[in-house]
Amino acid sequence: MTRSLRFPALLLVAALSAAACGGGGGSPAAPASDGAPASGATGGPVTSGSAGTLNVLSLWGGSEEAAFKAVLADFTTKTGWGVNYEADRQTYSTTLQSRITGGNPPDIAIIPGIGFLRRFAKDGSLKKVADLGVDVAGLSSSYPAGFLAAGTVDNELYAVPAKYNNKGTMWYRPDVFKTAGVTANPATWDEFKTTLDTLVGKPGAMALGAKDDWNLTDWFENIYIRQAGVAAYDKLFSAEGDWADPSVQKDVDTMLEVINDKYVVGGIDAAVGRAWTDAIAQVFKPEPEAGVFYEGGFVGGIATTQTNTDLVIGETIDWFPFPTLGNTDDVTTFGGDVVGALTDSEGAKQFMQYVVTPEANAVWAGTGAIVSPHTGVETSAYPNELVVREAESLQKAAEIRYDGADLLPAGIAGESLGALLQRAIVPGTTIDWADFQTRVKAAWDAE
Amino acid sequence: MAVVAPGGVDPGGLPTAMKAPPPPKVAGRRYDGTALLFLGPTAILMAIFLIYPTIYTIALSFNRGRRGEFNEWVGLDHYIGLLNDKSFINLSTFPPSGAVWNNVLWAIFYTSGVIFLGLIVAVLASRVRYESIIKAVVFLPMAIAATALAIIWNFVYAPDPNIGLLNAILDPFTERGISWLGNPSLVNAALIIAGIWGSVGFATVILSAALKSIPSEVLEAARTDGANERQIFFRVILPMVSLPISVLAVTLLVNVIKLFDLIYVLTNGGPGTASRVIAFTMYQEALPGGQFGRGAAIAVIMLILLIPIMAYNVRRFRSSRVV
Amino acid sequence: MTAVAEPRAAARERTVTERLVRFLNKTPVHIALGLIALLWLAPTVGLLVTSFRPRSDIQVTGWWESFLQFRFTLANYQEVLTSQGMLEAFVNTFLIAVPSTLIPLTLASMAAYAFSWLNFPFRDGLFLLVVALLMIPVQVAFIPLLKLFAPTGLLNSFGAIWLAHTAFALPFGIFLLRNFFISLPKDLIEAARIDGSSTIGIFRQIVVPLSVPAIAAYGIFQFLWVWNDLLMALVFVQRGDMWPMTKAIQNLLSQYGTEWHLLAAGAFILMAVPLLVFFSLQRYFVQGLLAGSVK
Repeated sequence: MTRSLRFPALLLVAALSAAACGGGGGSPAAPASDGAPASGATGGPVTSGSAGTLNVLSLWGGSEEAAFKAVLADFTTKTGWGVNYEADRQTYSTTLQSRITGGNPPDIAIIPGIGFLRRFAKDGSLKKVADLGVDVAGLSSSYPAGFLAAGTVDNELYAVPAKYNNKGTMWYRPDVFKTAGVTANPATWDEFKTTLDTLVGKPGAMALGAKDDWNLTDWFENIYIRQAGVAAYDKLFSAEGDWADPSVQKDVDTMLEVINDKYVVGGIDAAVGRAWTDAIAQVFKPEPEAGVFYEGGFVGGIATTQTNTDLVIGETIDWFPFPTLGNTDDVTTFGGDVVGALTDSEGAKQFMQYVVTPEANAVWAGTGAIVSPHTGVETSAYPNELVVREAESLQKAAEIRYDGADLLPAGIAGESLGALLQRAIVPGTTIDWADFQTRVKAAWDAE
Repeated sequence: MAVVAPGGVDPGGLPTAMKAPPPPKVAGRRYDGTALLFLGPTAILMAIFLIYPTIYTIALSFNRGRRGEFNEWVGLDHYIGLLNDKSFINLSTFPPSGAVWNNVLWAIFYTSGVIFLGLIVAVLASRVRYESIIKAVVFLPMAIAATALAIIWNFVYAPDPNIGLLNAILDPFTERGISWLGNPSLVNAALIIAGIWGSVGFATVILSAALKSIPSEVLEAARTDGANERQIFFRVILPMVSLPISVLAVTLLVNVIKLFDLIYVLTNGGPGTASRVIAFTMYQEALPGGQFGRGAAIAVIMLILLIPIMAYNVRRFRSSRVV
Repeated sequence: MTAVAEPRAAARERTVTERLVRFLNKTPVHIALGLIALLWLAPTVGLLVTSFRPRSDIQVTGWWESFLQFRFTLANYQEVLTSQGMLEAFVNTFLIAVPSTLIPLTLASMAAYAFSWLNFPFRDGLFLLVVALLMIPVQVAFIPLLKLFAPTGLLNSFGAIWLAHTAFALPFGIFLLRNFFISLPKDLIEAARIDGSSTIGIFRQIVVPLSVPAIAAYGIFQFLWVWNDLLMALVFVQRGDMWPMTKAIQNLLSQYGTEWHLLAAGAFILMAVPLLVFFSLQRYFVQGLLAGSVK
């Protein structure tokens, strides 16, 4: 490099070091932030072990991430394997897909949805659990059959259940209910609408953050399984499903009875532009704007540890089961993440063997952030009543089904179900379900 | 540099205006062996990282493309699928919709908006002493990342009146905050305005320089002939800056075709697919979607849209050399 | 349009009254420009002010009200730099941007020199190819480059992103620099040749020193381009500990609700260096911009 060529580079270096000093130097002992608990956005090794290090990629943030790190720490203690943990909350699917395509997969990854699981299993990216030194036959005594089925592709187990949440949980503010004059929690859909009516203006009925469109697919699924029935639900989210069936539009119509400008605080337009965590805050911040927020069991952890640490279970936060549509009080949906190995390195084997043990699941359950699918976990392992009730509600339900949107193929061309529902909740929109059916069918056929 | 493509100035449009001088006649007819030394590394890099990927992607667009590999010839399936995909292009309604249509909206309103405002700022600023300050202020968004620009506009468009500047201003007049980014009929306008805001400075600087290059004698002569200011603007000035304007338009069109970051950060293509554009759709389908063949087909469509500009560049360059 | 006539008029206006009259005549222009300045500054200033406000204030009042409350803090910056990993991301951005600038700068200068002053077969045809390659969108590179990098392990280092950025920067660099190089005085180069300077010597001792403004302009552009890039980083920077700021900041967008206080501070850290470069090297910056369009 010539002297002259170096000139602009030197200028840049000078400019940069000035910037670095300016940016980093000026933080005196500022008061500790009142923000959420810290967590490294870019990961970095959480533990270092003597045996070696393996890479783990996950999409969890906040309390879920803290809980998982506790599990990883225990893994290191037990096995001597260090973990290079990476979290990618916003661009997870991209990172996982491009790492696999680029031949640079993590050893262990949380698989975001069964559609992805099928894709990565079929293209040979995921390792069979049986080849990782795990006694697959023995797992049937540790997990309910439905959970293992979620990790199975073409009769071969590729991933094990990591954690799950009940998605039939309707979160609410007991204090808001009391002030507004709601005396009993609604059990049926009609009672639910009456409750929302009562809450309007006192201070508001329901919060919705539909920018995260999976909130809408969860609404859709929970109405569908109750309104159309379990058999119809199973069919719809399989390769034989027919989205042009009238039951689908009927579901959306039912949804619009509550997801409308009357009940959703701020109106539908605003809700479509709002992040779901912002909607949680609308209900659970110190000065609530609404009384009800629907999403899965994980809302409890986020609300109590991040939104507002002053929440008191039973007084300012609680949940009741998703309202029934007909005689359906014993069905619900659940969402879960599965964990799989993308390499068959020794570390990956060790981790997969560890993560199916009752001990690992007890550590996880003990954080209170998740519900463990492992049957060896006693309810006494959970630190708070919200989670215990969540676990019990699923145990006693006659029919529970996996989150349907996660079962759909990962590569539906064009508009996804969630994006389509974002459009469907805007008043006056008609949805071309036949077109969606064509695209879903094509995606199933392509698998 | 906000929405402007590689190199800050878009490689596409700008250089076309350059009147490239004829190549110097190098002494003698013999070839210079050291040329290989100077060109070799570049040639190898461009062959591996530009030419080979282009060919690969074109081929992949006719293939199923599982794992990004060639495993099943599908002919034109991806292209036909895209034409039938209402989120990509939908001509059955009026106005049309879909990613391609959104790009058309961008091409019309963003391009004309940037040039129009750029010209206004350039003309107005030239009349005052603090011209350079105004130009710097308007140019500033060009320096920052589209990611940062998107975050800035997040603070303008947010529905909460205590975060969103626009809704704070409108708060006394509206019942509830307007969801600029959540309403499918507003979202594209909102994004285009943010895009214009980011690029006006670029047009201002170029047009300002063009205005200054108009010889004062020409203007004096027009005045002496009794032309009023309006006539001077439309009959004298506008024709003289028409070349820089056409160059700008080409650059901005290239930006539109490559537009990604702003959409990705501000709306992620939503609500639904209302604000998707072609380049965003390519990303979405290929990664995270894993539809590599389809993604390749969209990349090829981008390439096809850019070919006229490519041809225009090459032709201009050749003709300027012959002169 | 009196842009050019103005200075002469100004020279005649000696008295204060005359100046005042002239100023008032232009009142509409000043108002319009004031409005423009406001429109362009308010959003950015809003971000800057927000980044220094306590989280609890942001949740209840707008940034424009902070001047009344006057409560500011560095806590947002502290949190975003330390616990949100933006400090590492800042360093990573630097580690990505510097080689991704210097490599194409060097290679493009050399290639541009060959295209302007050396004789070789198919010179003009090859140059037209470079002009055509200017248009290639980065999207075509995603899939093939991921497959190409897969066996090399480059995706575990910054190597992949350096190479990808370099390749896509070369056509523009060659184009820009070649057009500058050929405008250099021919006599100077001929004289050096007659004096016995080698090809490399001419490049190093004459062409490069005389072309510093063009090279600097290109370097600054490329540096800022890489600094601000998100798309390439999404695909080619795969390890969490290597993320640049543009990618790391995505996680602030939807973590536990929109963390406006962190988002504002993060965005400003991302903007700091480009703004610094813009203000300190504005001349090169604008020159480079104009180099291709208006001569």
